[in-house]
Amino acid sequence: MNIELRNIHKWFGKVHANDDISLKITSGTIQGILGENGAGKSTLMKILSGFIHADSGEILLDGNLVKIKSPDDAIRLGIGMLHQDPLDFPPMRVIDNFLLGQHGGLFLNRTQVEKQIQELSQKFGFQINPDAYVETLTVGERQQLEILRLLWMGVRILILDEPTTGISANQKEKLFATLVTLAKQDLTVIFVSHKLEDVQGLCDRVAVFRQGKVAGELTPPYNTDEFIQLMFDKEIKIGAKTTACRPEPLLRLENIGIEDYRLRLRNINLTLYRGEILGLAGMEGSGQKLFLQMLAGIKRPVCGKIMINDVNYAGKRYENFLKAGISYIPASRMEEGLIPGLTLTEHFILSEEHNELLISQKEALNLTQSRINDFRIKGVPYSKVEQLSGGNQQRALLALMREKLNLILMEHPTRGLDIESSIWIWKKMKERCADCTSIVFISADLEEIIQYSDRILVFFGGMVSEPIDANTTSVDELGQLIGGIGW
Amino acid sequence: MFSKRVWLVVSMLLILALLLSACAKTGPAAGEKFTFGMLLIGPANDMGWSQAHYDGGLYVQEKLPGTEMIYLENVFQGPGGQVQTGAELATDMATNKGAKLVIFNSDDMKDNAIKFAQEHPDIYVIHASGDTAWKEGKNYIDLPNLKNIMGEMEYGKMIAGCAAALTTQTGKIGFLGPLINEETRRFAASAYLGAKYCWTEYLGKDPADLEFKVTWIGFWFNIPGTTLDPTQVADDFYNTGYDVVISSIDTTEALTEAKKFTADGKQVWAIPYDYAKACEGADDVCLGVEYFNWGPAYLAAIKSIQDGTWKSSFDLNGPDWSDINNPDTSAVGFNKGGALSEENSALIDKFIGELGSGLNLWTGPINLQDGTQYLADGVAATKQEIWYLPQLLEGMEGQSE
Amino acid sequence: MTVQEKSPQTTSLRSRINWLDLGLRVGAVIMALLITSLILLVANAQPLKAYWNIVLGAFSSTQKVSAVIASWVPLVLTTSGLLFTFTAGLWNIGMEGQVVVGSVFCVGAFRFLDQTGLDPWIVITIAFLAGALGGFLWAILPGVMRIYGGVNEIFGGLGLNFVAKALAIWLIFGPWKRPGVASMSGTEWIDPQFRLTYLPGTSLSPVIVVIALIGAIFVALMLKGTHFGLRLKAIGKNDRAAHLLGIPTTRYFLLAFGICGIFAGVAGSILVTSKQFSLIPDAGFGYGFLGLLVAMLVNYHPILSSIVAFFFAALSVGNVELQYMGLNSYLAGVLQGFLVLFVVMTNGVRQRLYKKG
Repeated sequence: MNIELRNIHKWFGKVHANDDISLKITSGTIQGILGENGAGKSTLMKILSGFIHADSGEILLDGNLVKIKSPDDAIRLGIGMLHQDPLDFPPMRVIDNFLLGQHGGLFLNRTQVEKQIQELSQKFGFQINPDAYVETLTVGERQQLEILRLLWMGVRILILDEPTTGISANQKEKLFATLVTLAKQDLTVIFVSHKLEDVQGLCDRVAVFRQGKVAGELTPPYNTDEFIQLMFDKEIKIGAKTTACRPEPLLRLENIGIEDYRLRLRNINLTLYRGEILGLAGMEGSGQKLFLQMLAGIKRPVCGKIMINDVNYAGKRYENFLKAGISYIPASRMEEGLIPGLTLTEHFILSEEHNELLISQKEALNLTQSRINDFRIKGVPYSKVEQLSGGNQQRALLALMREKLNLILMEHPTRGLDIESSIWIWKKMKERCADCTSIVFISADLEEIIQYSDRILVFFGGMVSEPIDANTTSVDELGQLIGGIGW
Repeated sequence: MFSKRVWLVVSMLLILALLLSACAKTGPAAGEKFTFGMLLIGPANDMGWSQAHYDGGLYVQEKLPGTEMIYLENVFQGPGGQVQTGAELATDMATNKGAKLVIFNSDDMKDNAIKFAQEHPDIYVIHASGDTAWKEGKNYIDLPNLKNIMGEMEYGKMIAGCAAALTTQTGKIGFLGPLINEETRRFAASAYLGAKYCWTEYLGKDPADLEFKVTWIGFWFNIPGTTLDPTQVADDFYNTGYDVVISSIDTTEALTEAKKFTADGKQVWAIPYDYAKACEGADDVCLGVEYFNWGPAYLAAIKSIQDGTWKSSFDLNGPDWSDINNPDTSAVGFNKGGALSEENSALIDKFIGELGSGLNLWTGPINLQDGTQYLADGVAATKQEIWYLPQLLEGMEGQSE
Repeated sequence: MTVQEKSPQTTSLRSRINWLDLGLRVGAVIMALLITSLILLVANAQPLKAYWNIVLGAFSSTQKVSAVIASWVPLVLTTSGLLFTFTAGLWNIGMEGQVVVGSVFCVGAFRFLDQTGLDPWIVITIAFLAGALGGFLWAILPGVMRIYGGVNEIFGGLGLNFVAKALAIWLIFGPWKRPGVASMSGTEWIDPQFRLTYLPGTSLSPVIVVIALIGAIFVALMLKGTHFGLRLKAIGKNDRAAHLLGIPTTRYFLLAFGICGIFAGVAGSILVTSKQFSLIPDAGFGYGFLGLLVAMLVNYHPILSSIVAFFFAALSVGNVELQYMGLNSYLAGVLQGFLVLFVVMTNGVRQRLYKKG
């Protein structure tokens, strides 16, 4: 089905969320919608799927002017939206999930629906057991289920809003394959994302949104710089690797063993150099987190030595690690990193070492304001951290790090952030490295690991690889190691 | 911004307080009305010690027009008690209610009564059951505004002990005691003396066959979690063969339990304490009640204040032997209960008669619980020797201190 | 959706929530009054008259106002102490026991120093320090039990309350009993020279007011303006994150308990030296529990807590007036109980509204 949007406007109070948007999407294409958080992508999609109404503008489907007043309307017209959090009812079977959405008819026709599900599954290559309980499905499977359900309800235009958040690389691959199949069957797919690589790898056309407007449209072959130019209206250069302080060792691990109730890591030997960035790759739960927490002083090694300046830190308390200039930035920002209910200022006061009794409000405010500016946190000194967006929380978390540090430990430093934030955060980290601070980080994003690390450790089921030089490895090689091949 | 609001609230509260204290500063005009306050250790309707005092106050109000009683109950510190101490409450009565006399009704309030009397020399104080004003006593303090009043309950306890001894089938008498002090020791001992006398003289039995056991709960009445539970103690008595329980606490748990046991087919008896009408509704188990009659003494004290003849004194008022139940003359009485047999009733009358005509059970030989001699053969105890009895007596089972 | 538009939005949101807050709290107070009125009506009393009598009972004379202040002092101290533990996210249910043990230590010090002939003020000071030490030790216990034994401080505190009372009763009936007496009514009174002097015509010693004010101000300053207070707050809101930020959480937990205990011990010493003059089984007079109620009622706000403590003190003193009317003395307790109940309930409601908003 072809879609044409003409001069769509949408205001939220003073905010012009959609500013004269016109867009044509032809049947059988995968249309990417790329933009920073708050660029107006989601607003437009909600208008299209009937959740909100445009203040002005027209929507044409196959050349016919339509009015979409509710999500129901949208479905009837063949427009279905897959939300970030799939709207299903976990304690039910797959089949019941379908029956719930059935229109009209007092009686449920189970066998017929089951047959339809099977037909659709075959046609689009899904593998879902109709009798499985929804709660037993993975996030990726639930997405597939939701897509299937939308197709079964007759949807011809499928909108996906940030579908790759929270699913594994494997699941992402499957999803993309499905979407390609759908497009081949002449469905229209609208793929909303702030992730450059997703859009580049999948879409036939990409509309880039910026501040409520369509900043431009791109078609393959894509050029990353062009995208960034359109998204941010400025050039952001990904910094080059630095090796300024390399020769001097910071920390030496000798025959370290770590374990928890599931995993045993043994005989880890490693020398970490000043200013070095060490990336930790591996599937979730392969031991990289234990390793990081061992370095942070949170998880005590069961054997071996952690030598810093000829002092063995193994078995010392977290406070000692902190004093040694080691800073740990946890992945769960609101659970472990920040303190809900406290303001940014209060966080900055807490993060600094103070021996005096009274708080100097002025000094604290100045510090906070300068950090806010420095880290471009969208907030004011008295903003409570829970009022900030995810990206800003991450920036705040980074901003809490003390000035002089020897080692920064990070878990998923850019997870869930838009490209600008990610690039910007790494720029900040690079500055730290230039000051001879070392960084050890975990990421699920292999590109990120190769991009920024000097050396890489791969974890697999409790095994740790020898350090791999990031300059000579590839995503494929790492991917195989992560999957347990090549050990 | 916020602190401004706070100050607003504070200042409004203060202004309110000032206004109120300004407009309510009108005490009663002198000479018109005589207000006396009463601090009751328990509730005014406890069918025991406190109600006896409360009724004494009512008696004064009735006999002496122009007097008015104000009272506060549960004057003790603990669960269910007052947040303010007796001295604080008395101060409240005197300064805010115009009370010219405050009656502290418990031995427990001794310190507070003295403190209050010292701090308020212009207010008259009666402390019921203390010995502060007893010149010949051990604890004398010269306080012109303080008077002690007490009934000579030794006699009442003797009669109660006698009734118990006459009635018991098992020869085992339980004594449900409050806390341990000189007063409670001498009352328990008096009950034992009465029991022993009637057991041997009237029934002709061997004193060695009479068991007399005292269990103290720790206070004048039950305070859950702090004292022993008197209900439980009474049950234990009845379950272990003690078929008569003499209660010496302020409340009537023993009577209630006796009714329960008797209703279940096991005939037992109880003797309550303090309050003339305590037997009401328990005719099947109540052998009688030895009680205080505070009205006449309080009336006399207030009259003495009004006519200017008040003197600090230690008034130990005994029964009027011509009629121990005369409400206008007798400070201590004994009302027979429905469960007292006719035969025993006659013996009780006989016993009262003997006491009235000079029988003194506090005559030697009397040994203390630990076997030491207290009174030699034929020697009668002094008032002090009775009042300050240091131990229970030989033949009694139970803690002495 | 730029920065400039976002900040005014949040501020307007904040002020709106504050109004909501206030409304809910006032609503809770009205509900509590209504229910208590209902109970009064059932008991055949006129609610308005009863309330007015409470007001009269609390404020109608200098003596009464001073009595209110005298019972405000220990309450504001227990409440203030509890603000530390509440701020650190701890439920110090054992407060009552800590007051009792404070009294025990205080009385013990007097007994020990009774005959030394030292200057009374030195003895009193030592007794207060002993009381503070007693409260401190008794408060550290649930902290230690929680940190090293994994016993939730609520259960630890509850248990220790019983133990404290048992300790007091044991002393009263045992080693410290009056000669020849075994009564729960308490130990021998301390020597008059050790009793704090009252203002003429009142039962209020000015010294304790000074102590209470110092205590209340100390808490307000510590919690609002110091690194210590902020760290406690951080621990209370997210102890894991606070730990990662480098705050030694264990030490701060114990400190919070310890300081709270010191407040309890001082409150106990005040009760001994200016009210009871002896050790009684319920030496805490319920001030520990009442402090918990006050702290919850004001959502742990230091200045407000002093005011609400005053209100509660007025209730319990004014309550006497109801007894002259022949009404049950539990009424003030009923009103206090319902107040807290409804405030806690509205806290739940507010949280729901926050989530929806």
